[in-house]
Formats: sequence, C-alpha cells, structure tokens
Amino acid sequence: MKALSVTVAIGFILGTIFVLSAVAYLLGGWLQQWNLAWVSNLVILLLGFVMLIATFLTLAERKWSAMMQDRIGPNRATIDVPGLRGRPLGGLFHVATDALKMLFKEDFRPKTADRLLFNLAPVLAFAPVLALFAVVPVGPVVNVFGSRVGLQVANPNFGLLWVFAIASLAVYGTSLAGWSSNNKFALLGGVRASSQMISYEVALGLGLVGVMMAFSSIRLPDLIAGQSTLLWGSGEELGWLGKIGVPAWGIFLQPVGFICFFAAAFAETKRAPFDVPEGESEIIGYFVEYSGMKFGLFMISEFAEVVILAAITTAVFLGGWNFGFAVDSSLARFLDSKDLGWLVGALYSTWFWVKVLILCYLQLAIRWTFPRFRYDQIQTLGWKILLPQALANLFISGALILIDPSLRTLAVVGILEIGFVLALALRRREPEHGHPSDDLPLDATTDHAPAPLPGAAAPSHH
Amino acid sequence: MAYKASKNPTDDLRERLYLPELLRGLAITTRHFLRNLFNPRDTNTDVVARKGANLVSTVSYPEEKAPYPPGYRGLHRLVPRDDGKPRCVACYMCATICPAQCIYIEAGEYETNDPATQSRVIEKFPTQFVIDELRCIVCGLCVDACPKDAIRMDTGTHAPSEYTRSGFVWDIPKLLVGPPVSHPSDPWNKRSSSSRPSHQHTEAHTRVGEGLVQLKLPGGEHHSRTEVTDQPIPVTRFLKD
Repeated sequence: MKALSVTVAIGFILGTIFVLSAVAYLLGGWLQQWNLAWVSNLVILLLGFVMLIATFLTLAERKWSAMMQDRIGPNRATIDVPGLRGRPLGGLFHVATDALKMLFKEDFRPKTADRLLFNLAPVLAFAPVLALFAVVPVGPVVNVFGSRVGLQVANPNFGLLWVFAIASLAVYGTSLAGWSSNNKFALLGGVRASSQMISYEVALGLGLVGVMMAFSSIRLPDLIAGQSTLLWGSGEELGWLGKIGVPAWGIFLQPVGFICFFAAAFAETKRAPFDVPEGESEIIGYFVEYSGMKFGLFMISEFAEVVILAAITTAVFLGGWNFGFAVDSSLARFLDSKDLGWLVGALYSTWFWVKVLILCYLQLAIRWTFPRFRYDQIQTLGWKILLPQALANLFISGALILIDPSLRTLAVVGILEIGFVLALALRRREPEHGHPSDDLPLDATTDHAPAPLPGAAAPSHH
Repeated sequence: MAYKASKNPTDDLRERLYLPELLRGLAITTRHFLRNLFNPRDTNTDVVARKGANLVSTVSYPEEKAPYPPGYRGLHRLVPRDDGKPRCVACYMCATICPAQCIYIEAGEYETNDPATQSRVIEKFPTQFVIDELRCIVCGLCVDACPKDAIRMDTGTHAPSEYTRSGFVWDIPKLLVGPPVSHPSDPWNKRSSSSRPSHQHTEAHTRVGEGLVQLKLPGGEHHSRTEVTDQPIPVTRFLKD
C-alpha cells in the first residue's frame, strides 16, 4: 500500500515535470514568432522549475533526513478540506506553513546594523544564484509548429564562463550580510564564507576545464551535443532502441573533474559538510541577525544553489537530457518533426529533471551522512588536494585528448578510475585477527574506523 | 587486487582515498531512506518488537500511545468518600510539603452535630482545593504527606492539553474524580449508633487512639480535646455491620 502510494507520488511528480516542460515548449513556440521564447523560458524554468524544486527541497531536506535517520519527519500540517482532512500527504502542507511563517514573521533589523547593506545582502545572495541558471539548457532545440525552440533562457558564446563569473558574485551577499549585521558571530560567519568560497573557486573552474577541452566548447548545448555521441556502440540502429553503446558522458571522460567540480560546488553552496560559515552549533552564521523573509531568501538561495549545481553537473557530466546508452538516435529523429517535436522535447526535459532530482537527493544525502569538516580540513581539501589534483587531471587529460582525439583513451582511463573507486568501496574489509601491532579494538574494524583528513589522496592516473 | 585491509586509517587505501568510504556512507543512508520510503511503518508501540523492513522507531504519540509502566501513576485526584465528598480534611499538609507550592486550600467547617451526614465526626473540609498543574513537579510528596489518603496520583493522566493556562488550574470539581475509597479506620465508620460518639477524636491505627500508648503532654495535663480512655478500643467494634 505504501509502496503503491509512493510510486503514485513519483509518477505524479514525473507527470508534472512532463506537463510543465510541454507547456514551456508550446508557449515558447508561440512566443518565438516574435523571438520571445526566452521570456517563457525565463518564467517557466527559473520561477517554475528552479524555485518550485528549491521550495520543495526545503521540505525534502526535513522529510528525507528523517527517513535516513529512521524518523517520521514533518507530518502534522493538514488542510481542513473535505477529502484532505487529516491527511498530511507526506508533510506537503509544511511547505505552505513554512512560507507563511517566513512572510509573517517580524522583519527585525538590529539598530546598529548598516541599513542599506543589511537590506541589500539577501538580494545579493539570492539574485546571482538564480541568474546562474540562465545558461543551463534543459531540453533540446526542437521544432514546435514551425519555429525552433530550446529550453534555455540564453545561449551566449561565453557559456560556462557566465557560471564562473556569477558564482563568484554570490560571496558578496554572504560576506556583506556578515559585515552589515554588526554582530561578531555574523562577521565570523561572513569571513568564513568568503574565505571558503574564494578557496574553492579555483577548483570549481578547473574541474570543468577537462570537459571543455574534450568537446572544444564552453557553451553548454555544445557540451550536451558532444555527450550525445557514442564512444563505442553498434554501428547500425537496432529497431526502436536506436544505437546502443557507451556514451561520451563527462563523468566517463572526467571522473576526477566531476569529483573536483562537485566537491567545490558543494563548498560554494555552503551546505554540510562544508557548512562552517553557518556553523549552527557554535556561531549561527552570517545570517544570525536576519529574520522573516530576508532569512528566507538566504535559505531559498541555498536550496536554489543545490538545484542549479545539480543542473550544471547534469549538463556537463551526466549527458544533459540524453538517455545515453540507447534510444537517443531513434528519438532524435522526431526532434525536427513538426507535430511530435515538442513531445519528444518534453520527454528529454523530463529525463533531464530526473537526473537533477537524483543529484539533489545525492547532495541531501551527503549533507545528512557526513559530519562537518574542520576549517583547516576545508582549506586543506581545497588548496592541497583538489587544486593539485585538478591541475594534474588537466595535464593528463589534455595529453590524452591530443594523443587520441576520439576521446576513447580518455574514457578508458576515466572508466578505470571509476572502477577502481567502486572496487575499493564494494570490497568487504576483512578483520585481521590477532595482529600484534594493532592498537585499535577489533570492533572498530567493521565499519566505523575514524576517517583521516578528507580526500587524503586522489585517484591517480596510473 | 593488491588491496590489503588494514585497521589503521592512515595507511588504509580506502580511508585515504576517502571516496570509497564516502560511497559506503552514502549507501548506508540511502539504504535506510529506501527501506523507510517504500515500506509501511509498524505501529506497534513496543518498538523493539516491531517487524517489517521499515526501520522507523518512532511512536507517533497522540495517535499511538505506549502503555504506561505498572509503577506509573499520573496526575492528582482528590479521593471521594462513599458519599461523594472529598476525604480531605483540609489539614494543609500537602500544601505545606509541596516544594512547588502549587496547592492552595481554603478550609471550611462541618456542622459537627448534624446527624444527617457522615461528616459529623470530621471537623474540616476544603471549600477550595486548587492545584496548579503547570507548577506541579509531579514529585508525589503531597500523596506521601496526606494523613487521610485524600489525595492520590493514580489517574493515569499524563499530559492533559488545554488552550489556556488557566485550564491547568484544577479545582475541586475537576479534581474530585475516580472511585471512592474507604478504610476501616475512617472515623465515620467507628460508630455504633447515631448518637454522639463517646470519643471525640480517636483514630484506629494510631497507637495513641487505640490506647496502646499513653499520650504524654508537657506539664502532665490534657491540653488536647482528645479524650484518652483507659480501656483499649478494638478496631472491629467501630466497623459497620
């Protein structure tokens, strides 16, 4: 019964995504006759998809964490409407109660705070995050009743550079919030945030350079188009399955770059295990003096960052909207069809958002699995581990791309790296009984040996 | 593979790489997540005896209530007598011992010569008996202190809910509930007829009242209204037929 209702709920979510994507395509197709498809994309992608998912992630954060920790989670808010009375629907109404709470809470400003910057900081934290999404393509360019429409707000030739530029602006919001609050703890949080975000910006950029080199472009649609090709595959179409094979996804070509980018971007979102700027157990963080909707802006920008990080990772490393191993080549035929183009596009877009949601789950799971890094561990991870590793990855990847422009050598190395890590992870550890030089108790061998500094070594290229 | 398992994290490849351990950690949380997502929760309040793949160990309180342990008693009640009046004689002992000072009593006096009631051998009764349950620390000292077994904590009420604070100030109508209690030693039982009893204030179970011990007062004189008889009075004589 519960499995059924969960399946129905998942189906409902997928259906909503599909319908919303289809609406985006149709509206864009209609507006494209005045070259205004970007308006509908702006509204539906940013306000519809990103904000909606971010809003529901606030609930998911609480509900999913509860399930990971064997709790029930929020299930009290109900609506007194016939048919819904006494049904919490998995805590769905807590989203509304949270929003109402944020809106109606007193908007407090400390007397000694800098008025202008205090009011400006939440905007500065929130706006860049939303602007980041402008260059992320969600669905392919298709033929909608004669006009060509893609689900992307803007496709500038600087592509990913926009991501780097805007992502580095987000630090102003947090550091200004910390400073203008005129509070010692807020200032500490702001300083921690700025140092952490600046440290990880280098690794953030270098993590993506490998994929840029492989596909010789920094425009995200080009990267996704490059990832739709097969590295090894059947030469001819196999019925409706199309060509089957291993796709040239970024994660196969650049697993080290993926880890590097993901870790760095995770640090940029300031979520656990990188939540030293917030540090809710010792300093409340840079937003300690904020209340009401201004705090809500900080919080929603954090969740919007989660969505956007997932979207960029999907576009660069997980093949974007491509299904990858099969059916792509047979579906691509319909993209230019006048009647079915938007339906296939919506299908692709749904698949893109499924990947995004899975990555969102991954980020939330990481947040609820790992304890917070110490400040020195964060700096060590950023400067001493991720940066050299990203540089080494860059040189080796560049050499491999030069040697073999078909990217197959690069992919072999990448898949070997993935296999190496997976083999280590899956290998059962055997306790060494009666080892004389062993000073740890035998019980500690099973699962819970303490971890050293994070990422003390990276998967090497040998 | 030349992987050598080691218990020392500093030379364990898996620990040093961090990623394999990270994946294993994620696998643990995801396993819990999926098990709890797709499986119905067993609502057995005996959490240890729960069955099924769902691992949630919550007792969702107002809907599911774990049975109280046998030793648990609950919040106060004023014990009624058989005739429905409180056993309380307004002696203020409970109010005096209460460390939270949450008991307020106002005493009233019975008509001692009224033959129509059982109360003629009891002098006082509470006109007001108020317990502020928000102040109460549920220590049970009032129950220990009561000489008349008039206040008990055996309601089993754990956490009553009210919309106002004043709802937690319990007075006699709210407190005077539950089964009546009478003991063989109750003074209104110690009478053979409706005439005025020969003793004025005698209680069985008190060694003085039964004449087993001579009441010693300073100065050797009786300052008390208590009349001490020479003969021992058997308890059974006062029991009703």
